[in-house]
Amino acid sequence: MSCTLGEVKNRADFIIYWGGNPAECHPRHFTRYTLTQKGKFLPRGRKDRTMVLVDIRETMSAKAADIFLQVRPGKDFEMLTILRALVKNQKVRAEAAAETGLTLEQLQDLVNRMKAAKFGVLFFGMGLSMTRGKHMNSAAALTLAAELNAFTKFVAMPMRGHGNVTGADVVMRYTLSYPFGINMSRGYPRFNPGEYSTVDLLVRGDTDATIVIGADPGATMPKPAIEHLKRTPTIVLDPKVTHTSKLSRVHFTTAATGISAPGTAYRMDEVPLPLRPALKSPYLTDEEVLKRIITALQKKPAWQPAVKGGEQIA
Amino acid sequence: MLRITGGKVYDPKNGVRGEIRDVCIAGGKIVSDVPPHARTIDASGMIVFPGGVDVHTHVAGAALNFARGLIPEQHRKSRPIFHTPQCRAGLAGSTPTTFATGYVYAGMGWTTANEAAVPILSAKHTHEELADTPIIDKCCCVLMANNEIILDLLETAEFERAKQVAAWQVWAAKAYGVKAVNPGGVAGWKWGKDCKGLNEPVPGYKNVTPRSIIKALADIIDQLALPHPLHIHCNNLGAPGNYTTTLETMKALEGNRAHMAHLQYHSYGGDDWFTMKSASVPIAEYFNAHPNLTCDAGAVLFGDTVTITADGPWQHLLYELTGRKWGNLDVENETGCGVVPYVYKEKNLVNAIQWAVGLELLLLITDPWRVCLTTDHPNGATFWRYPEIVRLLMDREFRKEQLKHIPEKVLSRIVLPDLDREYTLSEIAIITSAGPARTLGLAQKGHLGIGADADVAVFNERKDAMEMFSYPRFVIKSGQLIIEEGELRNSIEGSQFASKPTYDSAIEDYLRPLFSQHYTMSFENYPVTEECVHGLNVHQCGSCTQPG
Amino acid sequence: MLTLTLKTALTVPLEAEVLSPDVLAPLAHDAIRALPVMLGKRQHRLDEHFDITGDGSEEIEVRGDLTKVKWIGRAMTRGRLRVVGNAGMHLGAYMKGGAIEVTGNVTDWLGGEMSGGTIHVRGNAGGQLGSAYRGGMSGMSGGQILVEGTAGIEIGMRMKRGLIAIRGPVRDFAGLQMKGGTIVLMSGAEQRTGAWMVRGTIISLKPLKLMPTFASACSYNPSFLGVYAKHLAAHGFALPPASEGGYRRHVGDASVPGKGEILVWHPHAAT
Repeated sequence: MSCTLGEVKNRADFIIYWGGNPAECHPRHFTRYTLTQKGKFLPRGRKDRTMVLVDIRETMSAKAADIFLQVRPGKDFEMLTILRALVKNQKVRAEAAAETGLTLEQLQDLVNRMKAAKFGVLFFGMGLSMTRGKHMNSAAALTLAAELNAFTKFVAMPMRGHGNVTGADVVMRYTLSYPFGINMSRGYPRFNPGEYSTVDLLVRGDTDATIVIGADPGATMPKPAIEHLKRTPTIVLDPKVTHTSKLSRVHFTTAATGISAPGTAYRMDEVPLPLRPALKSPYLTDEEVLKRIITALQKKPAWQPAVKGGEQIA
Repeated sequence: MLRITGGKVYDPKNGVRGEIRDVCIAGGKIVSDVPPHARTIDASGMIVFPGGVDVHTHVAGAALNFARGLIPEQHRKSRPIFHTPQCRAGLAGSTPTTFATGYVYAGMGWTTANEAAVPILSAKHTHEELADTPIIDKCCCVLMANNEIILDLLETAEFERAKQVAAWQVWAAKAYGVKAVNPGGVAGWKWGKDCKGLNEPVPGYKNVTPRSIIKALADIIDQLALPHPLHIHCNNLGAPGNYTTTLETMKALEGNRAHMAHLQYHSYGGDDWFTMKSASVPIAEYFNAHPNLTCDAGAVLFGDTVTITADGPWQHLLYELTGRKWGNLDVENETGCGVVPYVYKEKNLVNAIQWAVGLELLLLITDPWRVCLTTDHPNGATFWRYPEIVRLLMDREFRKEQLKHIPEKVLSRIVLPDLDREYTLSEIAIITSAGPARTLGLAQKGHLGIGADADVAVFNERKDAMEMFSYPRFVIKSGQLIIEEGELRNSIEGSQFASKPTYDSAIEDYLRPLFSQHYTMSFENYPVTEECVHGLNVHQCGSCTQPG
Repeated sequence: MLTLTLKTALTVPLEAEVLSPDVLAPLAHDAIRALPVMLGKRQHRLDEHFDITGDGSEEIEVRGDLTKVKWIGRAMTRGRLRVVGNAGMHLGAYMKGGAIEVTGNVTDWLGGEMSGGTIHVRGNAGGQLGSAYRGGMSGMSGGQILVEGTAGIEIGMRMKRGLIAIRGPVRDFAGLQMKGGTIVLMSGAEQRTGAWMVRGTIISLKPLKLMPTFASACSYNPSFLGVYAKHLAAHGFALPPASEGGYRRHVGDASVPGKGEILVWHPHAAT
C-alpha cells in the first residue's frame, strides 16, 4: 500500500510517524511533503491534518505532533498487532494491552481516528524496521495499513536511510526480480534475505572477496563482518576515504553522484529524479570504474555454469 | 545481407498467403533483392511471418516493478535465464526482468511491444527499464483519464487548453499514444470510491463524468492526429454485467477512432459472481458493425500470474475476493495502480467464463484486422503463453478437448462450444503482427513489403500450432539474426517510438504554477528528456486540426 | 551403503543438491564421482570435495563438517540419509519422503516447505525450520522434524500440516502465521510465539510469554494429545502424564483473526 509523496501532500488528513524522528533525521519531510504544506484538498495545510507520533522516547518530532504515543521499547510489534485486532473489532484484554505502555483506550482511540480519516498515511522509520522483530515489524505496519483500506484510504511507507537506497532497490528489481539479498552464483538471480544479504554473508564468512560501492560497512556492521572484510580482499569505490577504505586492499576515489557525476536518484516513493552535476570532478564515476573492471574481466576466459536449463535450485 | 529462401511466406498486408518466395534483407530493411554472395537461409518446410507486434502489454514501469517486488515465491519457480556471453541473467515467469523480456519476446518471434500504461511522473523510470529491454522495439501509452489537471480543465469546459496540456504531456512522457484507464474511477479511488456508470459525476467533480472524459480524450487524440487512437480500458472492469458499460462506452465513441483494450474483461453478463455469464455476443455484434473501433483480446489462460492495473478499485475488490497479497500505489494527480497475485483455475466458475470469453471474442469478431492477440500481460496470462492461444484458435478439436475440463454448469453460460471457426495461418499473422501494427499506426512494422523493417520470424511448419509458434527456428530483428536454429545467438538494442504532437509552448506557463502547487517535484524535472530515451524514433504528428 | 567424506574444510558454500538418495541410488560409483556441485560460482565434480566409497544406494552416509554444504537431501522422496557431523542450510528442503538424521548441528531453513518424511537432528537447529520460503503462502505441509537441541527464529512459519518437536528452547516467532499442524516446544520459547497464527496447535511444556492478542480460554486435556504423546514417546520426546498436570489453552491470534491454539503445560502444585 503506497503512493507518491504528492498524494500525501494533497490528500493526507491523518499522518502517523512510527519509530522515526523526521524533525531531526528527515528535516524537509514535514515542510515539503507532509505536515505544513497546503494540499489541493487540504487548503488550510497543517490545520487540516492530524499528526500522531509513535516512538519509544519523546524526540524533537513529538513537538510537531498532535498526539504522542510512547510505546514501551520492543513492543512495537505487539502494539501494531493489537491495532490490527481492534480494526477488526476483536476483543483485546486491557491488561494485555497495557504491556505496550499504552492503555487500551489510547489504542482504541487511535484505531477510531485511523478509520475516520479520509486519507491516512503511516510512515515508519528504522526505530521500527531495525529493532528486534525487524522485517516482521515492517510487515505489521504494512499489513495494518492494507487492512484499514476496508474502511478508508490508508497507505504505509518506510522512511529509509541515507543515499540512493531506493534507487538500488528499483534497479535490482527490474534487472534481477528482487530488491536486495541476491545471489548470482548459479548464473541466475536467487533471493533469500538472511542467507544472501550482505551482513549475513560477511558475518558467516561465506564470501572470498567484496566490492563496496557507496556504503561504509566498516563503520556500521557488526564486528565479525568487519573482521571478514579485513581478512579477505575488499575493494571500495567511494568519493571519500571511508572506514571501509582503511581496511580494504584497494580504494578508488570516484566522482560524487549528484555533485560531480550525473545520474538518477529515486525518492523514497520511487519517483525518479534526474541528478544534474554542478561541478566537474577529476575522478572517474562509479559507473566508469565498474565498466573498466568488467572490461578487464572479460579478457579472462568466460565463466559460465556447464549445466544450463532446468529448474532453479532455490 | 540475408536471403530467406524456400519458406512459405505469410504477409497479409501485401496479400501474400503462404506462397513460397524469397525474403531479402539489407540495411535492416526488406529489399527486393540481394547479391548472390549474401548469406542464404534455407527455410524449406518452414513458414515465414513478419515479427510479432504486441499492442497491449505491461513489461516496464513503476507498477510492474512494484509487482516484481511482491512475488518472490513466483520468481523462485520461474524459468531462469542464465548469464552467458550473449545474455544478461534474469528470470522469466509472470513478470520477466527487463533483459529476459527482450530475450523471451524475441525467442518466440515477437519484435515490437507497446507498454500500455505509463504515468508521466514516473515515465523517466519506464524509459530506463525499456532501455534495458533488448532486441525488441518499444513504444508506450501515457495515462490521462484520471489526470487532475485535465479533469479540472474539463470541469470548467476548457477543451482547447486541455488539448494543449494533453499534447504537452504526450511529448513530456516521450509516449507514443494515450491510454484511458477506468476514466474518473481511479481519481475517485483516491477517496476510496469508484465510478461505475458513465453518467455519474466523478467523485470530487460536478460536471465531469466518465462519458465526458472519454469523449474529450478521443476528440483530443483525433485532433492531435496521434498515430494510435485513444487506448481505452473501460469503467467497471471485471464486474459481472459490465458489458452494458462497455457498449455505452463504444457508443460514446461513435465518430472517433478508439482501441478497446483487453475487451475480455469488459464483456460479462449476469448480475453478480453467481450469475455471471459471457456477453461476448452483444459486444462482438456491436463491434463488428463499427469499423471506427479496434480491440485486443486480453485473453485468460489457466495458471499462476499476477494482476497489475492502474484500476485501483478493481484490485482492492480482487484482494478481498482472494484474501491474498495486495499492493497499491497511487501516483499524485495522475493515476494509481494495484497489484494482486492471482491463480486462474479451470474449476473456478468465474475463471472458466473469463477463459471462454477471451476466445469467443477472438472467434466472433469477423475482421481479424481489428482484433489483436493479447493477454493483457501479465494480467490474463504471461505473454510467453501466446502460442497456447494460437493453438486454441486454430484447432477446433483441441478447443473441444479443453472444454471438457471446465465445470459443466459453465457450458450454458458461454457460447464457445458452439463456435466452429478455425483461424488460418494468414489470420494468425494478422492478429499477431499485421493488425496490431496497423492499429498502432506503425507503417514499417507487421509486414514484409519493400522498405519494411526487417523483423522476421521463421517457424518449422507443424501440425501443433503451439509447438510451432513456441520455438522459432530463426528470428531476425532489424536485419540482424537473433535466433538461429532455435538458440539466442545475438542481442541488440531496440528502438523506442514516441509521438510529437504540435502544441503551443505557452502552455508551460499555465502548467508551471499548477505544478508548484500540486506536485512534489520541480517542473523542470518532470518531462523526460530526449537523451533519456535510448534509440528514440520520433513520429511528428500532423498539425492540430480544429473540430469541424 | 554409500559413504561420502568431505576432504577439506570449505571457505565458501558448496551447493550439493545431488546428495540425495533419489539422485545417488541409481548411479554407479564413477557416475557419482562425476556429479556436479557448485563451489561458489564454480562447477566442480563431487569427487573434488568428497572421498567416495561404494555404489549408489538408498542408504547414504555423509561425513565431516558440512556447515557450509547446502541443499543436502533437497526434494528427496525415499531412502535414508545420515550426516555424521554438521549440515548447512536448506537440509531436506522440499523433502517428500525418506529419512534424514544429523548427528551434529544444522543451520537455517531445515526442511523448508517439506511435505513428507522425517528429519531428526541430534544437535541444534537454526531459524526458519519447516518454514515457507520468502513470500510463499505455506510452509511444511507434512512429515516431521525432531530437534534434540535448540532452534532459532520463525520455526514452522506458515506451516500447514506435520509435526515439529524441539527439545531445547527456541527463539522468537515460533509458529508465525501458522495455518495448521503441531509444534511441540519441550523447553519453551523466547517471545511472540504463535504471532498471527490462523490455525494449528503449539504445545509448550514451559510457561510462554504470549502475544496480547491471545485469549485464555480454559484448562484442557484434549484426547488427541494422547495420540501425539505416544508418537513422540517413540522418538524419545516424552510428554508428561495427565496425572501430573494439565494444559491451559490460549486462542488467537485475534489480529488475523485466527483460531490457533497454544497449550501451555501447568503441573499440579507439589503437595
